[in-house]
Amino acid sequence: MAIKFERVGYEYKDIDGKGYLALADVTLNINKTGEFITLIGETGSGKSTLAQHMNALLTPTEGRVHIFGMKISRETRKSKNLKLNPIRQKVGLVFQFPEYQLFEETVENDIAFGPKNFGVSEAEAKERAKKMLNIVGLDDSYLSRSPFNLSGGEKKRVSIAGILAMEPDILVLDEPTSGLDPLGRNALLEVFYDIHQKLDKTVVIITHDMNTVYEYAKRVLVMREGNLVYDGNPTQLFSRKNVKSWNLDVPDILKLRRALEEKFSITLEGETRSKAQLMAKIKEALR
Amino acid sequence: MSLIEIENVSFTYHGNKKALDDVSLSIEKGEWVSILGHNGSGKSTLSKLIVGLLKPQQGVIRVGGITLSADTVRDIRKKVGIVFQNPDNQFVGVTVRDDIAFGLENLQIEREEMIERIEHYAKKVDMYSYLNKEPHNLSGGQKQRVAIAGILAMKTDVIIFDEATAMLDPEGRERVMEYMRALNREGTTIITITHDMKEAVLSDRIVVLKDGRVLKSDKSENILKDKATLEKSNLELLLPLEIMHYLNENGIENPSLKEFLWQLSLNG
Ligand SMILES: Nc1ncnc2c1ncn2[C@@H]1O[C@H](COP(=O)(O)OP(=O)(O)OP(=O)(O)O)[C@@H](O)[C@H]1O
Ligand SMILES: Nc1ncnc2c1ncn2[C@@H]1O[C@H](COP(=O)(O)OP(=O)(O)OP(=O)(O)O)[C@@H](O)[C@H]1O
Ligand SMILES: [Mg+2]
Ligand SMILES: [Mg+2]
Repeated sequence: MAIKFERVGYEYKDIDGKGYLALADVTLNINKTGEFITLIGETGSGKSTLAQHMNALLTPTEGRVHIFGMKISRETRKSKNLKLNPIRQKVGLVFQFPEYQLFEETVENDIAFGPKNFGVSEAEAKERAKKMLNIVGLDDSYLSRSPFNLSGGEKKRVSIAGILAMEPDILVLDEPTSGLDPLGRNALLEVFYDIHQKLDKTVVIITHDMNTVYEYAKRVLVMREGNLVYDGNPTQLFSRKNVKSWNLDVPDILKLRRALEEKFSITLEGETRSKAQLMAKIKEALR
Repeated sequence: MSLIEIENVSFTYHGNKKALDDVSLSIEKGEWVSILGHNGSGKSTLSKLIVGLLKPQQGVIRVGGITLSADTVRDIRKKVGIVFQNPDNQFVGVTVRDDIAFGLENLQIEREEMIERIEHYAKKVDMYSYLNKEPHNLSGGQKQRVAIAGILAMKTDVIIFDEATAMLDPEGRERVMEYMRALNREGTTIITITHDMKEAVLSDRIVVLKDGRVLKSDKSENILKDKATLEKSNLELLLPLEIMHYLNENGIENPSLKEFLWQLSLNG
């Protein structure tokens, strides 16, 4: 088990000293390889808080998290022997707001910072910066730009490139496709899926897009008011009656399929989790 | 005369290529216009020009007949509210309450009315129990909801939403869309910047930007099915229309199915 949550609770302290329980008693295992997980749930349900526990940015106020065998808890964080650098290298986290992540003077330095920090040579880090920039759909002219003087979607892309360049074992992405144009969103989802598929790595994506969940996820985690309320596959999730009560929605493909089946009194056979599958089934049914 | 008139406007950020290149566009009073386009196409730049946060190097912008300039920008901001793409850029108050109050103070709203509006709009976006929290310590979606409440409370004639629902959950997004619809029915002019065709279809008109230029501006139902235009600016067809396209390509004639798919698309 690469990441293991044991009865994790997390309490934020407000300015007035009042506590706010953002995570309550979360127990969860994430494998080192082969997982493609989407983490979903209503606004304020604790998704970003949970994600920040996956690379020890936050320390649980209750319970403990084991990350690649290292125990993160209130007690261990006091110990000088706890080295966080290896954890940050193994688990790459892309923030929900790219502004929190970007800080260097140029895009090139920003993307190269992570790899350099983990011992990659200057030349190799720059090489990676260029490669990753192209992978996220920006051309070389952006290398010398300031990461602050970019459009919203461009910042998002650069922040993703910075984490990809670290080549982490596990990739945790907090709403990586919000603010991306549809072509960019589709392309980047394919990039994440490729990393998972070809390199057998684990990818965790936080999203509000039910289509992403339905088309890509092998496993779905649903948060509600700080609790993990669902851990299972997308097909079963969306066939539940209470998805709406969790502030979720039915994916477009499924909605359309159900509407067609009802309107034309037909039954399509088998699963249709991609557009191509749905189109093929409709064509078949029309024969 | 249109409510907002943008005439031959160009804008370049220092040292970069043109972010907007000779853009002309009119928006009528009471209209709901969506602005779409690839990342970096100039959508946010255009919105900042309309509220006078940026100054065009070329061209003229008029709001309600008044030409935007250093002298008129304060008056124009009382007419045009904007929800920024990044809600963090919107926050000025120490608490959510102060933050919503800030915009109202600028409008010189009386204290009692102010308190009433703050509570009303905080409830509207489901953030009432967070009024005493620090805006910066909220979740992404909560920040967006507060930013929206702050602008709604100002009751401006025009509201620009710059991807203001991008981080909301499906239910929250649905509620904001409902609210935009209601506001628009009551006469508020609305400009939404979005990548989501399901949101765009609700508006009267869609403007597609590409590389800082207006690629097309037309009634929503026309742009909706214009695959070529959408693809040129990294956009995609709504799912039912994509299916329709597929049926056409495969020579499948089924009028009742096509009509059904079209109706589904119009409902977003
Ligand atoms: N720094 C903070 N101080 C105090 N409370 C916080 C802080 N950050 C988050 N919270 C609260 O903790 C809860 C969980 O926040 P979190 O950011 O994990 O939610 P989320 O599921 O990621 O939501 P979203 O989908 O809106 O991004 C929220 O109610 C939020 O107000
Ligand atoms: N502060 C800035 N300084 C320099 N260039 C900028 C700045 N902000 C944006 N740009 C550039 O201007 C162009 C238009 O940016 P703008 O933010 O208007 O795009 P957008 O359509 O809103 O994109 P997105 O969908 O990513 O939010 C882009 O090429 C961008 O790199
Ligand atoms: Mg979040
Ligand atoms: Mg923008």
